[in-house]
Amino acid sequence: RVSSDGKPPKFQPPPKPVIVDRKTQKEERRFLSPEFIPPRGRTDPLKYYIERKDMIQRRKVFNIPEFYVGSVLAVTTADPCASDKSKRFVGICIQRGGKGLGATFVLRNVIEDQGVEICYELYSPRIQAIEVLKLEKRLDENLMYLRDALPEYSTFDVNMKPVPRMAHEEIPLNKLQVRMKPKPWSKRWERPKYNIKGIKFELPEHKMKAAQKWSQPWLEFDMLREYDTSKIEEKIRKELNEELEK
Amino acid sequence: MRLSVAAAISHGRVYRRFGLSPRSRLDLLRNLVTALVRHERIETPWARADEMRGYAERLIDYAKRGDKDERAMRMADFWLTEKDLIHKLFKVLAPRFQPHPGSYTRLLQIPNRDGLDRAKMAVIELKGNPLPPLVRPRRDSDKTLLNQLLKGYRQDAQRAAAP
Repeated sequence: RVSSDGKPPKFQPPPKPVIVDRKTQKEERRFLSPEFIPPRGRTDPLKYYIERKDMIQRRKVFNIPEFYVGSVLAVTTADPCASDKSKRFVGICIQRGGKGLGATFVLRNVIEDQGVEICYELYSPRIQAIEVLKLEKRLDENLMYLRDALPEYSTFDVNMKPVPRMAHEEIPLNKLQVRMKPKPWSKRWERPKYNIKGIKFELPEHKMKAAQKWSQPWLEFDMLREYDTSKIEEKIRKELNEELEK
Repeated sequence: MRLSVAAAISHGRVYRRFGLSPRSRLDLLRNLVTALVRHERIETPWARADEMRGYAERLIDYAKRGDKDERAMRMADFWLTEKDLIHKLFKVLAPRFQPHPGSYTRLLQIPNRDGLDRAKMAVIELKGNPLPPLVRPRRDSDKTLLNQLLKGYRQDAQRAAAP
């Protein structure tokens, strides 16, 4: 490089690297497990407070990962009859129910052409490990319709490898529309009360119109049925974060 | 022939049953809410007024969100059958109740209805309405102990100040 006046160019120090400290930037957990949110009712909040303390105790000892309905999990439970004293089951979570310590989740899989659903309790001491193989969300909160869907949508490989996921990434929403077996189904999933978005209905038009007869359009305007959990959630989230940091 | 007992038990149910069906119940309450917003004080059977109170207060909470809010506008559109009242709701009632966090209505019982059914009636009104007040705050009579003592104290003070 040609210098300005014959002398070597003045030493320019390189720009200082900006150290982005990921840890302090965003460490608050934005996910609150649904069993922490107390349901609407006349029970004493003390009951939920005591249950929450026990749930936090358990979570400190055993890691319950974040998962949603539609994610594929592998659960190892203790079993006295098995040779290794433990059993492993892999399946897709179709429902998360219950509040407090009795919170459950149902895993479904099709093994040797037989559909199997097992309902596990999240806080049961018999559970030795919960592993999330594939973390994703689906269009509905309840995937019970997989019982009437073609078996390919519920089969998952028992020796599936966990799908790697970057931290701080959005949870992927799987907009899969499932194809169903021919009717009759266990429930009339086309009716608006189930409000299912994840099925590709191949029913004739007049059947879909007939199902709309059971719709209740006034329900969305019924203001007293709304349960706003945002403030309760914030309080519980703060409480959880404080307790788990200790 | 034993009819089902389970159908008659309603433990823990919060919503009363009105009209012919749930849709009809909401329509009934909707008419009452519209009347309340229009006249700001109405006289109805107590059960209907009590049921309507919750809906009226939630409607005002929605109105407080402002008329730019899509959901608030849809709610107001459903709940107010006379559309000129939507303007009144957002422009008059929402600013009036902005400082208050809740309880925008007052429910007072009235003597039973004169007709054959002798229904328990109530008057429900929005607070801060321009009509004359329903309850006149009465002062205690002069004969109560406290008032007599205060009267005596005032007389003593006057006698001491007079000469």
